[in-house]
Amino acid sequence: MTGRANSIIIVGGGASGVVLAAHLLKSSNPDLRITLIEKRPHFGQGIAYSTLLSAHVLNVSAAGMSAYADDPANFWRWLLERGLASQDQAPVYAPRSVYARYLGELLDDLETREQQTGRLRLIREESLSITPTASGVEVALANGTSVVAHLAVLATGHDEEPAQGHAVRMGSEADTALDPDRSVMVLGTGLSMVDAFLALEQRGHRGDIIAVSRRGLLPSPHRKGNPIKLDVADIPLGTQLSYFVGWFRDLIKENQKAGIDWRDVVDGLRPFNQKIWQNWPASAKRRFVEHTKAWWDIHRHRMAPEVYARVTEAVQSGRIRLVAGRVVDIAKGGEFTIQVQSRHTQRLETFEVARIYDCSGIVRDISTSSNSVVRSLVDRGLARPDPLRIGLDVSAKCEIIAGDGTVSAKILAVGPLTRGTFFEIDAIPDIRVQCARLSKQLLG
Amino acid sequence: MLTKKGKYGLKALVHLARLPAGQLAFVNDIATGNNIPKKFLDAILGELRNAGFVQSRKGKDGGYRLARPADEIKVGHVVRVLDGPLAPIPCASRTQYQRCEDCNEATCQVRHLMLEVRQAIAEVLDQRSLAEMRDMATDDLPVAIKVQA
Repeated sequence: MTGRANSIIIVGGGASGVVLAAHLLKSSNPDLRITLIEKRPHFGQGIAYSTLLSAHVLNVSAAGMSAYADDPANFWRWLLERGLASQDQAPVYAPRSVYARYLGELLDDLETREQQTGRLRLIREESLSITPTASGVEVALANGTSVVAHLAVLATGHDEEPAQGHAVRMGSEADTALDPDRSVMVLGTGLSMVDAFLALEQRGHRGDIIAVSRRGLLPSPHRKGNPIKLDVADIPLGTQLSYFVGWFRDLIKENQKAGIDWRDVVDGLRPFNQKIWQNWPASAKRRFVEHTKAWWDIHRHRMAPEVYARVTEAVQSGRIRLVAGRVVDIAKGGEFTIQVQSRHTQRLETFEVARIYDCSGIVRDISTSSNSVVRSLVDRGLARPDPLRIGLDVSAKCEIIAGDGTVSAKILAVGPLTRGTFFEIDAIPDIRVQCARLSKQLLG
Repeated sequence: MLTKKGKYGLKALVHLARLPAGQLAFVNDIATGNNIPKKFLDAILGELRNAGFVQSRKGKDGGYRLARPADEIKVGHVVRVLDGPLAPIPCASRTQYQRCEDCNEATCQVRHLMLEVRQAIAEVLDQRSLAEMRDMATDDLPVAIKVQA
């Protein structure tokens, strides 16, 4: 029974790990023991919030970024208290570094509060593997020691897998100094491409940016609005994808006729996204990921209006060129000669660029994960990829499912790792709800 | 409100759920076996096919079968496709809202309560699969007999 589990190891002290720890520590149980393990020097950052660039702002407004599911204004108040926002100035898209500070301070406060109780322990070290034992789990660390507990929760977030082929990741060690007038290519046209553009601007890069993706679609901007009200009783569940998409298109059309912005319809659906996903047959999920997700993403995952203005200006001036197509050949001389086949005309176009940045998205086959804990679980058959291979297979209660289909009572997961089951579980508004529910499930 | 259309659709699906996996049923057999007008049933099965709950095959050996295992199709899924949003009265819906001639929806307490009722309806119908509904009839029979006795 997980109900008696008092000691819990959280593997990964990025945003989802900190949010989970915060929710668990709301329990009044004096015997609770939380161990949070993070390999980076700072807790609460992960990959998502480690950027120091002030132009890299949150893609969700401050009103939606509280760490606590039951206190949605927590981050907003934190900003107000520090003079980083003012009451009349909503919506605010805070720099991600500010958000990392918020989570860092939140954890500091918890650490101070729990000093007497000993309920929270932070370990700065890389985790190597999790092994179930007779009484719980053992997590092996890179320094040769190990920690034990009743159960472990994986909160390792997005994969840090090195970029593929000749492409490099923005800001990685391979991203060395560059002639500021040379063209560069970005693989991807989504929010990561936008981040790359902002980073290049900051560095004073002047060369052209050629952004390539299958469809060449740019994400939409946020606009202040009020999500429409829907009930689960209104939403068709469990149908095939085309039926659902038809229903949703009609719903947008009807609302637009009444003068309502499409964003308010997309956002009105958000509370039900997980339910919709979980009720779809496997075929609908697969079709969605293959064909519809790119369209969904640019409408659902939007950027701050100020950022959008900068990006569209760059597109109009020709500084950014959006190309719908696929890379068919890369030849490396002094620079890269890249052939791209257009999606629409099938014609080949050749680009000469000094660097290729990989911004092609964060969803990877989990069995090739660069995270050793995740990989070793899969290798030993203690975990398996979900049917779409976009994360780990977990139950609706966040329990890891082993290679033979057995549901683990001792190893659980939260955040992006669970996207095969929970669909959109990349952003704080969704992760905090998942963490609140899991805390209740584990501690009552 | 479950309409006749919704009721017939569910009966047809239970009929299909009783067949061995993959076996097709003739529309005529479904219609006569469940007292459903054939023309109406054709239309209903067409809608269920569009939504991905049944598959059809044309021709002499043609007919309908479930597109997915009966335990994967929830009753609530089917009712929404055939009858629209789950709602005890037409004004208790967000997307297919129909105004009542005789009251003001903003202050109507009946509507407010019925909005709550529809959540309860969804909770029941989205938990129950076709397979459970199919097996339910026989399970309940002894109880019904006991009650009468």
